[in-house]
Amino acid sequence: MTEETIKPLSEPVYNHAHGRLLLPGTRYWPTDMWKSPWSLPTYRRGAAVLAGLITGGAAAAWFVGEIGPRLAPLYAAAEAFALSHDIPAFWISVVWTFIKGAILLLAPLVNALFAVWWERKISAHIQSRLGPMYVGWWHGALQTLADGIKLFLKEDIIPDCADKLVHTLAPIVVVIPAIIVFAPVPFGSGLVFADIDIGTVYVFAVGGVSVMGIIMAGWSSGNKFSLLGGLRSAAQLVSYELPRTFAVLPVIMLAGTLNIAEIASSQAGYWGGFVPRWFIFYPVVGQVAFIVFLIASVAETNRVPFDIPEAESELVAGFNTEYSGMKFALFFLSEFAYVLLSCLLMASFFFGGGAAPLPFLDFLPSWAWFLSKTLLLMFCFLWFRWTFPRFRVDRLMDFNWKFLLPVSLLNIAAGGLLIWLIS
Amino acid sequence: MKNYIDFVADASWNTLKGLWVTLKFLFLPSITVQYPTEKIVPYPRFRGMLAYDAELCIACGMCVRACPSRCIALAKAAPPPAPPPAADGQPAAPAVKAGPKIEWYTIDYGRCNFCGLCEESCPTKPKAVWHSLDYEAVFSTREEMVRRWKRGDGPWGTVKRSADAQPSAISDQIHIQDMPVRK
Ligand code: SF4
Ligand code: SF4
Repeated sequence: MTEETIKPLSEPVYNHAHGRLLLPGTRYWPTDMWKSPWSLPTYRRGAAVLAGLITGGAAAAWFVGEIGPRLAPLYAAAEAFALSHDIPAFWISVVWTFIKGAILLLAPLVNALFAVWWERKISAHIQSRLGPMYVGWWHGALQTLADGIKLFLKEDIIPDCADKLVHTLAPIVVVIPAIIVFAPVPFGSGLVFADIDIGTVYVFAVGGVSVMGIIMAGWSSGNKFSLLGGLRSAAQLVSYELPRTFAVLPVIMLAGTLNIAEIASSQAGYWGGFVPRWFIFYPVVGQVAFIVFLIASVAETNRVPFDIPEAESELVAGFNTEYSGMKFALFFLSEFAYVLLSCLLMASFFFGGGAAPLPFLDFLPSWAWFLSKTLLLMFCFLWFRWTFPRFRVDRLMDFNWKFLLPVSLLNIAAGGLLIWLIS
Repeated sequence: MKNYIDFVADASWNTLKGLWVTLKFLFLPSITVQYPTEKIVPYPRFRGMLAYDAELCIACGMCVRACPSRCIALAKAAPPPAPPPAADGQPAAPAVKAGPKIEWYTIDYGRCNFCGLCEESCPTKPKAVWHSLDYEAVFSTREEMVRRWKRGDGPWGTVKRSADAQPSAISDQIHIQDMPVRK
């Protein structure tokens, strides 16, 4: 045989078995499998898929429309039904709350299913790999589901020298706040479980409880790696809580309320007809607050580059070294729940919640804008994770106390100045 | 204070540079090959599994001598029948240049170190034994490591399968390409 039969592919072809395009110039075996009428140059195809997904999603969102305002008539109808059947209205509100709670519970679960897959794909492509490709119909889309089933079937190991009660309790203490913390967070206009006035305080307070669980996990495992991980986590989370909260203060001062949904809606409108009145566009104060909040949120969620509590190369897996099966999955779930929470908070604090970025785009419902902003911010989290190396413990503390904290404090003063200038 | 601000500016700039690099790689094509359905072709100099052409081989034994691992063995075929003796007053019939000169030929892959000396020493043109580009060499027993060729066996030869201990063609093992590269 001569060179001709193994000459590089002359045009991109689509490998049906893996749903993957092969680039020209790569030397592949000449197999009929790749001959396909659907062949398109790689980037055109990728762009077409992306554009299709986005327009499809937008069309679906436009078709569904606003969900929030439809709930009130639904509730009224349920109440009328109760009145006509001699059921106390109290029970209707209880059932209503339960339904809303069940839907809310789904948010972190579905988010974890999606985010883990997304993270694996992004990490793979950043490293010139492909990531999961087999499970599911398209690019390993059901990989997380398969992993979840695997984790369910795994043996739950409690080490001999562990404190059994605390060891079992720790994942629960971590995951319950991670779910109930979503209560005051809006998912769109009118889509909020508990529209409470101190939403911001509630979120930071309840989110802080998870630290307890992590320390419990580290202490009760009876393993020095876990203990070190737990202690590091305590030090880190407690320190980064400060700049994170301070970063939000200018926003609260400008909005004049602690209710998250109201903060989001107070950013409605446009300057000069096209620049949205989002807090991130307030000169200097908005951008600094956003950056500090973003960095502190990455640290709060224990993600790279702030992942010293579970630093793989130093501490095996940190506080969750001794956890297996579903308990480990709970830690993972809460990590991604907090990522989602941070993104939702950032979307409502700095990006105007469900407001459209340009006036003519507001035919899409608010929840669609909320979702897309959240996903974009979540992409930033994953992007950081696969870009930066891990901080050293002392530098981590330096960074917090010598940079983030002073900057966020100055930013509060600058926010006051800004309010004085505006009024 | 100036140092501090310089440091912060420098760190931020480097952070952004790092982010730009990863973002670029995110959208560049990945180099992973999905092995069973996509296979990389090695470059022509690659020394893969040996292929052998029984029709070309002149049974000179150069490859047997050249092999440092002594993994090649061969047997010459019986010489073609001699031409009938010349009758009186007629020229002798020309010697018959008949067919292959090899009875059998084996290569033991358990010993082969893919050095390429056998190919180098082979005097025929094109080479009667040569390295193909096949890298999918899978054996489950030692017996399977011995490839054997007889007349008409094709470049890949046969192998004694452990299942029935019968020599069988190894065509099912060669997916990479139909024909090997010859130099
Ligand atoms: S490649 Fe080297 S070791 Fe293998 S058969 Fe040829 S001469 Fe012997
Ligand atoms: S393979 Fe080449 S070197 Fe070996 S016996 Fe045949 S002709 Fe001679």
